[in-house]
Amino acid sequence: MANVLGKRYMCEKCGTEVLCNKAGDGTFMCCDVEMKIKEVKPLPSSD
Amino acid sequence: MNTVNFVSIPASMFPDQEILVFGEKRLTYGQLYDRICRLASVFNQLGLKQRDVVAVMDTNSDLYVTAYYASAKAGLTFLPLNYRAKDPELEYMVNTAGAKALLVGPRYYEQIRRVRPKLATVSIVLAMGEATSDFPSVERLLADASPQEADAEVEDEDISVLMYTSGTTSLPKGVMLRFQDFTAYVTANVEMADGSDRGAALVCVPFYHIAGMVAMMTNIWTGRRIVLMPQFEARTWLALVERERITHAFVVPTMMKQLLDEPNFSKTDFSSLTNLAYGGAPMPLPVIRRAIEAFPKHVGFVNAYGQTETTSSLTVLGPEDHRLEGTPEEIERKLRRLNSIGRPLPDVEVKIIDENGNPLPPGQVGEICIRTPRIMKGYFGREDDAALPDGFRATRDLGWMDEEGYIYFAGRKDDMIIRGGENIAPAEIEVVLTSHPAVEEAAVIGVPSIEWGQTVYAFVVPRPGKSVSPKELDAFCRARLASFKCPENYEIVDALSKNPLGKILRNELRARVSAGSA
Repeated sequence: MANVLGKRYMCEKCGTEVLCNKAGDGTFMCCDVEMKIKEVKPLPSSD
Repeated sequence: MNTVNFVSIPASMFPDQEILVFGEKRLTYGQLYDRICRLASVFNQLGLKQRDVVAVMDTNSDLYVTAYYASAKAGLTFLPLNYRAKDPELEYMVNTAGAKALLVGPRYYEQIRRVRPKLATVSIVLAMGEATSDFPSVERLLADASPQEADAEVEDEDISVLMYTSGTTSLPKGVMLRFQDFTAYVTANVEMADGSDRGAALVCVPFYHIAGMVAMMTNIWTGRRIVLMPQFEARTWLALVERERITHAFVVPTMMKQLLDEPNFSKTDFSSLTNLAYGGAPMPLPVIRRAIEAFPKHVGFVNAYGQTETTSSLTVLGPEDHRLEGTPEEIERKLRRLNSIGRPLPDVEVKIIDENGNPLPPGQVGEICIRTPRIMKGYFGREDDAALPDGFRATRDLGWMDEEGYIYFAGRKDDMIIRGGENIAPAEIEVVLTSHPAVEEAAVIGVPSIEWGQTVYAFVVPRPGKSVSPKELDAFCRARLASFKCPENYEIVDALSKNPLGKILRNELRARVSAGSA
């Protein structure tokens, strides 16, 4: 799946996190595996 | 990452999106970022070096926001000063932090002139308003500067903000918050801007408070327009909610009460407001109950509990828990739960421990300990950061957890009353007292006793137009509390002394009692 703008990606092997600030067709890879999207759990507060 | 990215990344994608409103000024991401780059350039021209400290003494403004992000871009440490600080407190903060530069708002020019000879490390003072003969204007320097392109190469461990805590009990302590603490909080809790309409946030808490500082970051990163107030004022707050179609706001308990008491409240159009968060100090139950009744039903209330030391919120009690609907049993459970500070955020673990560090079962009061990736680096120049060997941090707040994982705040550990060997958490008594229909607020302290070590002394503020006697309060408490917890003395007062955030100044109450008995 192509990378998504503004999403954080995490390597489940080494713990590296990356942030996508411009999306293309590619997919982040780290330690030879596809990086997984790290979902945000929105805060219900104003901040 | 460098926190200036919270502006620069959205600015590169959506330069024309409006993101900051202050009075008549309306700035897009592109305009804000241009000003940030120019001010970063000014900081460099003035000779400030990476990790130098820049202090700001002013009420909230767009220039304040610009100053923070310009500091981040230049790799400087930002020191937001409490603008209510008296001369000795101001000197203490600036001198212990070793600030090199000081940006000052017009209201504080005289104060800074007065203390300047004692601020040994400060070599640069800039005016945030009109220039004076002794202070050059930031705006003038900024307008003449060319925008700086490159960000300073900061380490995640570098200190981005040095924030002095409100200090109700002692001299303020400088909390060192790193770039990584803010990026952990912001990226875990809000989505990055995507050009869509994410609403508008009304920011009225001061930037020297952690809630103000993180609001400056989360809202900008997520693309929610910030509407800034220089300081809170109830009538203006209501007018801005209506005019700017505010969706999100955060208030401290004293502000909530002032809003409810403001005559314009009933005339205000709240149709845009969806999230009204509160925190900063314990919320009196009568005030939040009134708020739930007075605001329209679509407004979702959120109680946020956190500390400066943990980069803001740790637990939240969400909108569902504020909806007083359901069967009579459910309503009663929800009413009890309104005293709760909620459940931990996803990146926070909480445990309640006894004095020996052992975890306590539900229902028992102990110290709230937390673990999260955004605990401060430490207190500036001190070693007492209360970190435990397992990575948890002892908050010095007391609390207990119910069977469903909701946490209840029970006061500061230092305020614990020990009467004849029994520990009594003041908040437990205060919750009972404020559930009396004639009581607006209550504060309970321990006072020295030859017989018991300490005894329980209650200050009670009656609700407007109501009166209550110590005898009635005594009967009310005896029906609801173990006898050793019932106050021995009640003093009916008009108001309680509080710090600017609404935290009760218990030291003043203790001093008052000891002065009275002397």
